[in-house]
Amino acid sequence: MAIPIAYNIRNLVVRRTTTLMTALGIALTVAVLAAALAVGAGLAKAFTASGHPNHLLLLRKGSTAELISSVPIPVFKERIKLRAGIAKDEKGEPMASPETVLVINLPSVDAPDGMNLNIRGLPPAGLKLREDCMITQGRWFQQGRRELVVGSAVAKRYPDAQAGKQITFGRGKWDIVGVFDSPQMARNSEIWGDFDQISGDFNRLEAASSVLVRAQDEVALDALRNELNADPQLQVEIMTEKAYYAQQTDSGAPLEFLGIFVAVIMAVGSCFAAMNTMYAAVARRNTEIGTLRILGFSKSSILLSFFVESVLLAALGGLIGIILVLPLNGVATGIGSNLTFAEIGFELRITPGIAAFGMGFALFMGAIGGLLPASSAARKEILTALRDS
Amino acid sequence: MSDVVIRTNKLNKEFVRDAERVVALKDASIEIHRGEFVALMGPSGSGKSTLLHLIAAMDKATSGEIDVLGENLSALSDSAIARWRNAHIGFVFQSFNLIPVLTAHENVELPLKLTGLGKSERQTHANTALKLVGLEDRMGHFPRQLSGGQEQRVAIARAIVTDPDLLLCDEPTGNLDAKSAQEVLTLLAKLNKEFNKTIVMVTHDPHAAQFASKVRHLDKGELLPE
Amino acid sequence: MKYLSLLVKNALRNKRRSILTITSLALSLCLLGVLVAMYHALYINQAPPGQALRIITRHKVSIIFGLPIYYRDKIAQVPGVKAVVATQWFQGLYKNERQDRSLFFPRMAADVDHLFEVFTTYKIAEDQKDAFRKDRLGCVVSDSLAKRLGFKLGDKITIQGDIFPFTVDLVVRGIFETEQNEEVLYFNNKVIEEWLKARGSNRPFAGTYTILVDSPDNVARISNAIDEMFANSEVATRTESEQAFALSFLAFIGNIKLILLSICAAVTFTIILVAANTMAMSIRERTWEIGVMKTLGFTKESILGLVLGESAMISLIGGVIGLSISGALCIGIRKIAGPFIFQFQDLGMQPPVLAFLLLISVAIGVFAAMIPAWNASRMPILNALRFTD
Ligand SMILES: Nc1ncnc2c1ncn2[C@@H]1O[C@H](COP(=O)(O)OP(=O)(O)OP(=O)(O)O)[C@@H](O)[C@H]1O
Ligand SMILES: [Mg+2]
Repeated sequence: MAIPIAYNIRNLVVRRTTTLMTALGIALTVAVLAAALAVGAGLAKAFTASGHPNHLLLLRKGSTAELISSVPIPVFKERIKLRAGIAKDEKGEPMASPETVLVINLPSVDAPDGMNLNIRGLPPAGLKLREDCMITQGRWFQQGRRELVVGSAVAKRYPDAQAGKQITFGRGKWDIVGVFDSPQMARNSEIWGDFDQISGDFNRLEAASSVLVRAQDEVALDALRNELNADPQLQVEIMTEKAYYAQQTDSGAPLEFLGIFVAVIMAVGSCFAAMNTMYAAVARRNTEIGTLRILGFSKSSILLSFFVESVLLAALGGLIGIILVLPLNGVATGIGSNLTFAEIGFELRITPGIAAFGMGFALFMGAIGGLLPASSAARKEILTALRDS
Repeated sequence: MSDVVIRTNKLNKEFVRDAERVVALKDASIEIHRGEFVALMGPSGSGKSTLLHLIAAMDKATSGEIDVLGENLSALSDSAIARWRNAHIGFVFQSFNLIPVLTAHENVELPLKLTGLGKSERQTHANTALKLVGLEDRMGHFPRQLSGGQEQRVAIARAIVTDPDLLLCDEPTGNLDAKSAQEVLTLLAKLNKEFNKTIVMVTHDPHAAQFASKVRHLDKGELLPE
Repeated sequence: MKYLSLLVKNALRNKRRSILTITSLALSLCLLGVLVAMYHALYINQAPPGQALRIITRHKVSIIFGLPIYYRDKIAQVPGVKAVVATQWFQGLYKNERQDRSLFFPRMAADVDHLFEVFTTYKIAEDQKDAFRKDRLGCVVSDSLAKRLGFKLGDKITIQGDIFPFTVDLVVRGIFETEQNEEVLYFNNKVIEEWLKARGSNRPFAGTYTILVDSPDNVARISNAIDEMFANSEVATRTESEQAFALSFLAFIGNIKLILLSICAAVTFTIILVAANTMAMSIRERTWEIGVMKTLGFTKESILGLVLGESAMISLIGGVIGLSISGALCIGIRKIAGPFIFQFQDLGMQPPVLAFLLLISVAIGVFAAMIPAWNASRMPILNALRFTD
């Protein structure tokens, strides 16, 4: 026969100060854990959803990132652009884009001393390949002009990167003429301008950083990849755009590691605190335990009752923890990419999975913390229990 | 100092509980002289403890005057009362109230920590007090290792260790068997006779009252005439 | 001090609870210790005397871009500048570093003639210095690095370039001592220069200039003078102390300062909860004793002092245990993160950090017991005597 849960709840309410303090300790632990996981979830959301399935990214052989790669323009023109299997736009032009990628430094809301940002120089084909991007403010940059558009994540976090403002790099000033937004979030952390203008400023007209091409379809994609790989004169590293972005999901790893490490240590502390609270609860209810036993409740139902009480206490903590961390959901933040040497914007995400995991973590703490006190309660002899009170 | 140790005049104490007023003490006027051993008797709820608490300044009267050892208690500040109590009052509880984590000796020494005495002096005083109650061989024991009678004797040692003028005992034998009670009462009588301590003792037990030099009765908060 | 024994006896009253509480506090304070040590190392620690004299000039927009070589002589003429060396971050990969991150260490190319003029804190034997200067493919490594990866004089070290895509085969010609267990390798920047020339590139090859100044007091003045001098030149510069320069890299991992501070706050709050809970339970259980003590003549203030003292003591014991463990953890972190984050090369429980944290332990103890202690001390004697939990 089980002791009703209402009995446990009432006991938790009677000792509300202790209950609340213990639960808050658990809540903070869960909050730290959930916040750490929110970084990972946010990055995963930003990057696994980015990249067109039929896009291939070409880098110099041995390069892992666009910034330390270069593909000579003649090589592009002679050996890449005209391959069969590359999709054509409405004018019949191949959808292949040699692009230049640079890093500049601008003050961000979090780093007033400046943070690295990627600037991408695009030929007309580059914008065609990114037809999912919409201008949300202003207009696109024009070919042949010193004009830039900034991604929405950049506009959010960089006070200087706003439509209508000017920034200075390379050989002079650049006008920011618009803000774009893409459902593929990784794109929104970049600033775009005309390939010739940007490359010209840095004497890089003879080589692009990378080449992005669109295959006609999935079958063509594999064929194209094999063909490019087989060309001994090309010396390129080929990967799908999706795979390239996916690599960056790991950028938050050091932070996630730190958060999880801290949460685990805090969890041990919270477990002990829960144990303390439950031991006190057991000690305080000696007479009750004796009485319950005389009334005919078994040792195991006593054990279960105290165990359940500890888990309930932890559940309260888990709930508070998740509520505490919920406001983080959707907060725009930035992190240095492990690949682009620049900041990538993303939104922290408290997914249902994270909430469930946090709650599970809390319940686990409660279970561990409750086990010993509950078994000590169950082991009490009836008479000692009555006498000790 | 005059011969009168305790003087109360029309002392009243009311408790308000759930909007209901309980009169615990009504116009109680009493005079107790130096060297007296007074037993306070009366049915349960008659206000005996209440009177004792007022004398020890553990509670404040609703109205009336109370003068103990020449101090007008209602005029003293909280910390002054604490110091005064430490120096002049010894209190013995029915349930002993020894500190469980301290040994008998440490329990007795505890009130001395509030005085300016040095460590060795404190030790000597505590030893003397314990010897007086006949427990010199139990000094290192913890309260739970002692019998009820022994615990109460330690509590009395604790009460007298600061050499107070006034000893207040609330049913000191209430939790004891006949033999232990006898020992405790003999001890109190000895303190009264040999050391000239003024004692006020609340008790239900007519036998205990026989040890006192004077018995006063309370009924429904009123002191019955002598 | 006559109350000390009373404090100890009260603190140890419920041994199980005290042990659980102290362990829990020790764990949290250990964590706090490490975090504060990190914060101290990053943001508070004064640069060691040698480092305090060095400043670094880089491209204003981004470290990715280099500086013209003729800047060296101009910088050398600024009053207060004692020596200037051109340095270049080479990066690259050593052995199977991509799989085994522990093989990472900073590889720099530098102007061998000036390297030791600027880094006066590097101690190297004259014959080794000469050997390094004479061998175009020679390199020097710091003793900590040599010890960790087992480099000896004459050893071959092959670095596969990525930013500069060519492989360098270096020979260890010297091993130098550093001020803080710094890990670094330097080789001749002529190697890069020649490779660039062979490719017909006119890229400026000095990534940064490291500058030795005459006095730490002149750092700000000289930095400004250099930046002003180049403000309207071909390439604008940004000059800052070596310490600030290193911090700007860390900003890349995320807003470390904010993250450290928020975790510290969460941990501290948890500690307070654990301590407060314990003290609240412990005080509740012996409220009647407080009544007894008041009857014996203890004043409100002395009761308050005793209870706060007890809590402070418990917390301090937890602190002492926890902080000793932090010390050990710091050594571990120093080993793991030292090569990546040079501020952590000397990570440890520095005396000011230790003193601060011990103070915090005591303060937490006092703060945690404040409310229950205050209530207990003010409770009327008779209520306290009659109090049952
Ligand atoms: N704190 C309080 N609040 C309300 N009423 C109280 C309080 N303390 C005592 N009383 C009431 O005051 C009256 C006198 O109580 P008191 O404790 O003095 O009686 P007593 O003579 O000592 O009784 P006993 O012999 O049972 O100890 C009783 O009716 C009691 O209920
Ligand atoms: Mg009574």
